[in-house]
Amino acid sequence: MLKYSRPPFDPEVEAALAALAEQIPAVTPGSIPALRRAPLPVLSDEALLAVGVTRRDVTVRSHQGAELVASVIARSGHTGAGPGIYHIHGGGMIAGERMTGVGQILPWIVEHDAVAVTVEYRLAPEFPDPYPVEDCYAGLVWTAEHAAELGIDPGKLLIAGASAGGGLAAGTALLARDRNGPGLIGQVLMCPMLDDRDRTVSSAQYENAGLWVRESNRTGWDALLGERRGTDRVSVYAAPARATDLTGLPPAFIDCGSAEVFRDEDVAYATALWHSGVQAELHVWPGGFHGFDMVAPESGIARAAIAARNGWVARTLGARLPDTGGRR
Amino acid sequence: MHHLVGRLSALDPEASETLRIVSYFDVLITRGAGLDGLLRGAAVLSGTVAGAEVRGRVSRRDPDGHPVTAAGETRRSPEMSHGDWTVWLERDGEPGPHDAMIVERLALGVELIEGRRRPEGGFEVVIDPARPVAERVTHLARHRLDPATPVRILATAADTAETGAPSAIVPTRYGLLRATLDVFGKLDPPEPVGFGTWVRADRAPESWDAAIIALRLTDESVPAVDATELGAMLLLAQAYDPQHPHEDVRALAGLDARSAEVLRTLVEADSIRSAAVALGMHHSTVQARHEALTHTLGYDPRTNAGRMRYIAAALLQRLTAPAAPAPAGPA
Repeated sequence: MLKYSRPPFDPEVEAALAALAEQIPAVTPGSIPALRRAPLPVLSDEALLAVGVTRRDVTVRSHQGAELVASVIARSGHTGAGPGIYHIHGGGMIAGERMTGVGQILPWIVEHDAVAVTVEYRLAPEFPDPYPVEDCYAGLVWTAEHAAELGIDPGKLLIAGASAGGGLAAGTALLARDRNGPGLIGQVLMCPMLDDRDRTVSSAQYENAGLWVRESNRTGWDALLGERRGTDRVSVYAAPARATDLTGLPPAFIDCGSAEVFRDEDVAYATALWHSGVQAELHVWPGGFHGFDMVAPESGIARAAIAARNGWVARTLGARLPDTGGRR
Repeated sequence: MHHLVGRLSALDPEASETLRIVSYFDVLITRGAGLDGLLRGAAVLSGTVAGAEVRGRVSRRDPDGHPVTAAGETRRSPEMSHGDWTVWLERDGEPGPHDAMIVERLALGVELIEGRRRPEGGFEVVIDPARPVAERVTHLARHRLDPATPVRILATAADTAETGAPSAIVPTRYGLLRATLDVFGKLDPPEPVGFGTWVRADRAPESWDAAIIALRLTDESVPAVDATELGAMLLLAQAYDPQHPHEDVRALAGLDARSAEVLRTLVEADSIRSAAVALGMHHSTVQARHEALTHTLGYDPRTNAGRMRYIAAALLQRLTAPAAPAPAGPA
């Protein structure tokens, strides 16, 4: 077996990982139910209220007429048309719920008076590809169509997601481009899950170290794609790393850790965006494992990562899409 | 993190929470985190502001990792101080259950950082392979030791008391450990203890390396291990990288407790029949287990070469970090 050396973890995030490691084994097909039962940290309505933010639930009609729940999250006194954030939660395509990871976008709601919509897309393996990305796209269309009543300026609609949510955000942005769907001012792809092919050096380096190790990643993609994983029967919307033409996509913010499975595919996606003439900002945080900024937000590298991300969002939301009537 | 630790402490008994704090700081210190990292760790674990004053300069961090510059410093409690530094938590009300331990570990980390700054250094210089020989010899002279004096180094847990012999707490690949100098072979160290090999004093780092391995091989039934008794196996252990376990080690680690016991018995027994008797199993069952194990391991543990591989892998398995974690987490 080939043995790779690999970038070590940052001391602070490794210390946090060491304190948690014993309770989080690799995800296998058999452990998906347990993963879903494990309580991921989710912001309660009380925690939202404490920063002056409220949440209400709406119904979104999706793929084949299915009804999905979505939450609209905004400052309690929101009036007029502000920036919109279309959020897609993470969880490896197999777990998580719509409030998972909302903490990462909460500062944007509070600071920029943005209105966020986050959708309860259906999960694999019960609902394999294309359900998740089609549900996400349906939620985006719904958000754009209801922009006026939601208090969203359609020229300032941002899409954002972490991990599987980042991959789905990239896939949804590709769908929006190819179907002449809603215009997006930017895409925030936080440590996104983009490539089903399991062939990067970083996948091999973090085979069994860190969070969301290679086996977990295979489990997620197998659930989403079944026997199609790694074949030529996978669409660019399911695995955006396969897209060869990224022209016409919105500017992207991509970040990840240097010590995670997704490092190489995330760097490659930023490079592919540049090659296609799309603006992109890329950060690879040294020694960060997958999701380090959520597990150890107090650490030095997480603080730098969060500041860089929030700074990009502030600059992006300060701009506005040219007015094309909400559609391009 | 503090949310997570809080949740874990609700689920787990206090003992494992204590262990978690120790291992948290062990990682920070052995991986060379700076003062800010140590303070952030103390703040996040305690859920309150942690501060340090080092050579006249005050740094404070809150549990979110933010620097605290506001003047409103509340009561320092607990507080620890040594020479040119002081560390503390800031608490007005009831102390947290682990405050004392957190400040103690914070203090240990700060002292290790500050100790490196002091021109004279401490006993750790003598066992640090990164220091030039000349520097180590100078230090030996301070302990009235000739470079050619036979010595050995002892490894014990970091929180064991000093025996009176020259000693230091040092970061190792297995966390923080106490190193103690032994010149006469008459120390009575607390157990568990690993004894290093006897070497010339100017080669003390080699003895320390062996002592760490020996300590790692102790268990409840054998609380003291002397590296000298490992013979040539010591060379194997020294060449081993616990971060990258050999496939034979992984194969052993993958066995359940019963299979591991069957395997050990098969290796030690004269015949399959005597193994079956020792295990209280039927001869044919043991035979089937033997074949299955041969398949799983990729070698027959009852041949001479197979026995050798098993013994080597079993030794190295004990040097492998207990949690070679393969966690999942949020994707």
